[in-house]
This record gives sequence, structure tokens and C-alpha cells, in this order.
Amino acid sequence: MGGLALAGSMNANAIPIYARQTGQACVTCHLGGMYPQLTSYGRLFKLTGYTMGTRPNLTDLEVQKDAPPISVWLQAGRGFTNKNNAASQPGDTQNIQAISLFSGGKITDNIGGFLQWTGGNTGGGYNFTVDNSEIRYADRNLNNGNDLIYGVYVNNHPTVSDVWNNTANWNVILMGFYNANAAAQTPQPFLDQYGPGQSEGIGAYLYKDTTWYAEAGVYKSFTHGIATTDLTAGSGSVFIDPSPYYRLAYSKDIGAHSFEVGMHGMISYAHNGSWGTTVNTYRDTALDAQYQYNLDPHYIGAHARFLHESSSFAGDQVGTTAANGSNYLNEAWLDVSYVYQAKYGGTLTYRNITGSNDLTLNALNTTTGSPNWQAWIPEIFWTPWQNLRLGFQYTVYTQMAGATSVIPGQTLKPSDFNTSAFYVSFIY
Amino acid sequence: MKHIAKVLTLSAISLALGACSTGLDKSRNLGNPAVSGNTLAQQVCSICHGEVGSNVNGNSVNPTFPNLAGQQKDYLVAEMTEFHEHTRKDPAAQDMMWGIARNFTPKQIEELATYYSKQPTRANPNPVNPALAAEGAKIFNEGNLDKGVPACMGCHGSNAEGNGPIPRLAGQHQDYLYKQLMAFNSDEMVEEKENNNAKDDDLERPHGVAMEGIAHGLDDHQKHAVAAYLQTLK
Repeated sequence: MGGLALAGSMNANAIPIYARQTGQACVTCHLGGMYPQLTSYGRLFKLTGYTMGTRPNLTDLEVQKDAPPISVWLQAGRGFTNKNNAASQPGDTQNIQAISLFSGGKITDNIGGFLQWTGGNTGGGYNFTVDNSEIRYADRNLNNGNDLIYGVYVNNHPTVSDVWNNTANWNVILMGFYNANAAAQTPQPFLDQYGPGQSEGIGAYLYKDTTWYAEAGVYKSFTHGIATTDLTAGSGSVFIDPSPYYRLAYSKDIGAHSFEVGMHGMISYAHNGSWGTTVNTYRDTALDAQYQYNLDPHYIGAHARFLHESSSFAGDQVGTTAANGSNYLNEAWLDVSYVYQAKYGGTLTYRNITGSNDLTLNALNTTTGSPNWQAWIPEIFWTPWQNLRLGFQYTVYTQMAGATSVIPGQTLKPSDFNTSAFYVSFIY
Repeated sequence: MKHIAKVLTLSAISLALGACSTGLDKSRNLGNPAVSGNTLAQQVCSICHGEVGSNVNGNSVNPTFPNLAGQQKDYLVAEMTEFHEHTRKDPAAQDMMWGIARNFTPKQIEELATYYSKQPTRANPNPVNPALAAEGAKIFNEGNLDKGVPACMGCHGSNAEGNGPIPRLAGQHQDYLYKQLMAFNSDEMVEEKENNNAKDDDLERPHGVAMEGIAHGLDDHQKHAVAAYLQTLK
């Protein structure tokens, strides 16, 4: 479980493949160089299918020197939890290591990809698996003042397609929650739990006048083929029947300011444990907003996301998968980042989870089964050159499992899980 | 009947294949010399230098990116050539334009310059401080003679419309103009260190030698002022 949280926090970000393809610096597509946050330009690069720029000389059409379509990302760090309690969670220190390989970029004038593999020690040993990956086909019609971008994609989990960094997969905090022990049991909306390769999806989208955006996709777990990591929720594997994902947004740039408001969501039909079990349904609906200021030397990015989930469990699952026949979960996510000269920056993130008590799903608090969690995550970082980032992140838990002091049934209080983490991120 | 079915199938396949390749007129390929300047202007350059929902391409929204509409063609050719050759080295040029222009052919540069020089100009919608702009107007029209700065209008024209290799500045973003004045200013400092014999490689804008002393003759406030005034011109 800890390993899963760790792997989940290592999501893909800036790829020098694209820098080689366009010849441009990271700040062109990433706000102040703060990958993974995308600028207006970065969003269009992704929505036009990663096709802008040059590609390796496959057809003798291109005149540029070849550059191999591969890049590597290394992350290392060390985390320290507030309290050392050998007999119980959390542990006091942990190492952070991950390596990612990327490929993709422009394939034809309309087709491009984002392909990532990530390796790390996930607790059960070292492994190397497919991470965020997608292939897009996109086109852009521009005439008489009309501008329409449209495309289709195949990818390996919901929200890989997001361009506003307002989903769990592309959150602005680079290193995620490094609390791999009990704190990793933070209740998460089902949409946030999809990991790479655990479902496959296709989708289509339209972006009109770079203002109105609409996207719909459908995801399903594999029924046959090579064994992959199963999607897990709560304690066991979950298999997904065809489940719809959607995203709507309105965006507008005024001067150096960029605004977006939108909504996204998914209805997941999930078999718990095996394909043969009855279906539980998770309905996730989120309102989201983004603000950016993009004018050197000042860069500001801010996000707000309010997600509501209502879940209902089949009669024969009540008492095993969940204690209740239905539950709800609300997630509030707020972050704001500032970077000066694309070098010196900081981020403050706030996350709050509230929901219905369920002693089976939320077992940390053995008295109430409360899912209520609250954390603040301040971070500072320095990017001495665009390929290297050094950071310090602190996670403060102000509420955990509904408790602000000692958690019923445990010996620790939320602040015991507070975590400091130093990290180095290098990408080439 | 079989024949008809075959024809229909083949037609459907060709249509499907046709739909999968847009051809050169909508390409975003920066490495293919066959893509026209007009196509690049629309599919690539407009992302930063254009405005959505407008028939006019070349008026940018974010001040990081200069307006190109109505710019002097000779100046556009010179700048794109400098980006291509990596001789213009201000930070934004290196970060963004070196890559865009690295495979530009002379023909594409010519087509792009023609395209943008013919796009209609538009008043800059971003606000400026009127008092600051008034100070800038004085410098633009009269210079800053104490520091040896001649009137800007002498070269750039009474309405900053430019002339051939001398750029149009009217309606240009204040922030962009200020940053360019700072680039010329920094080049002047290099010249002073190297006894006015600086190598092109050491200068951010080696082809802007004429602007070095001028930019240096304006203090920071005056640079902001003249940039603000220019943004208000139509």
C-alpha cells in the first residue's frame, strides 16, 4: 500500500523529448519551469497531439539532426516523519528513489504520444512498469476566425488527458505525499485511485477558439492478456466495466493572465475482488478552476478543486467491501505556487477530505470509521538550471481519520505523521 | 454487385486514410521545408503571436510575445534570420525562438515576414499608466539630450511605424519593449568593458548596436515610460 502511494506520487512531468522536438526551453510549456504545470502554449502542444516541432528523421523529409526520442528522469530524496515509534507507524525516515524513461513525441503531422515507464522500490521490491501513456490523433482547423482543435486518444488511465493540472494525476506538488505508511491510507475519491495500466481508455475532445473544451472517454479493465497490476481500492483488486469519464472547461487568456473554470467526473462500475462479483458504483463529480500569471520574472499558478463522490455498494458487498450500502466523500484541493525568474519558488497546498463514516472502508479510526482528513503542504524549491530541481516539502496533518488529537484505536495523533522531505529531481 | 461493393469498400478505406492525414496545409512540422510560411503562421506562430476568435493573426495576448501584425517586413526577415542563426540572444529568444526557427528556410522566412507585415494592426488593449506614458511621449518626441539620447521618432517615425529594418514599435507591449531596452542596455555595458569592440557572440542583440547607447542613456524609469507610451500608439 505504501509502495503504491509512492509509485502514485511519481507521476510524469516535463520531458526533454519535447524540448528536443520543439527546440524550446521548459518554461515555454511549463509555467515558470514548474513541471507539470502547463502554460497556455503547453496545453495547445498537448491538445494538438504533441505534433508541433520536428521528429527523428524517419522519412528523409526532415532537415534537422536526429535526436533520439528518449529521455530519463531521476528522483531521489529522503523523508523524515515527525515521530519515531518503532512499534507502530510511522517509521521515522524513508528513502525516495524513482527512475522514469520517456518516449513519444511527434510521430506524424497528426499523431503523437506521451509514453512513460517508471521504476522504483514499491515496498515489495524493485519493479519497472508502464506509467502515464497515451497516443493522440489531433487536427486543428483555422479559417475565417474560426479555430477548432479536435482529437482522439488512447491512454492508460483516466485524467492522463487533463491539461489544466487539476486532477490527482497532474497535481502541482511534484513529490506527492511521501507518507508511505498509515498516512497513505488517506481516503481518496475513486477517480484519484486509478493507476497507470490498470484500465485502458479511449476518448475524444474538442477545443473551440481555445475557449470551450469538451471531452468524453470510456475506460475498462482488461479481461484478457498479459497480467497487469490490478486497480486497487480499499483492500483488494478492482475490475472496471466500461465507465465514462468527461471533462468540460471554459478558458480565457487576458494579457499575462490565464483563467479556467470547468468540471470533470467519472462514473466507475467496479467489481471488487474479481470479475464475478456484483458491481459497486462510484460517481465522482468535480468543479475545478485554474489561474495563471505568466510573465517573466513572475509566475503564479493556482488551482481549486471540489470533488463530490457518492458511492453505492451492492447488497451482497455490504459488510465486506463497505459497512454501509452507500457513502459519500468530498475532497477540497487548493494550491498556489509562485516562481521568480523560473528559479526560486514555493507552493502551498491544502487538502481536505470529509465524508460518511464507514468502519470497513476507513479502519484507522476504530471507533467512528471517519474518513475526515486535512493536510497542509508547504514546499520551497530551487531550479538552478532547467533540468535540475531541488526541493524541500513539509506535510502537516491537522486532522486524520476524523481526529485532531490521538486517533481512537491508535496511539498516535495526526501531527506525529508530519513529514519533511528533501528531494532532487533531474531530467534529461 | 460484387464490383460495386469493392468500389464502396475501397472508397471508404481511402476516405478513412485521407481523414488521417491533413497534408501540408495544416502541418505543424517545423522540420519540413515544404510547409508554407502561411501554414506555420496559422498552426504554430498564432499560438503565441495571435488572438483567438479574431481574423487577425499577429496581435498577441500575453505580453511575453511581441505583436507582429503590421511589422516592417525587412525587420521581420532580419529577426527570424537571427533566431535561425542564434545571433539574437535575449533570454526569450533563446528559450522560445531558437527552436522554432532552427529549420526555417529563407523561403519560409520570406513568406512569414510577408504574412505578418500584411496583417492589420490593432490598438493594444492592455492598460498603461497615463502619467508614465506622458513622460514617455516627451522622450519619444524630444529624446533625452542630456544623456545623448536622440528623439526616438527620428528613426522609428513620428508614429513609431518603423521603416524597413527599423521596427514598428506602435502598439507593442510595454513589457516586451522594456525587456528589449534592457537587452540593449546590457550590450552597452559589455561594449564599455570591451572598449566598444565587443564580439557579436558576447552581445544579446548584436544587430542592435545603434540602440545600445540610447538604451543606456535612459534610466530604468525612463525605459518604462517610453515603453508605456509606445504601447498606447495605434
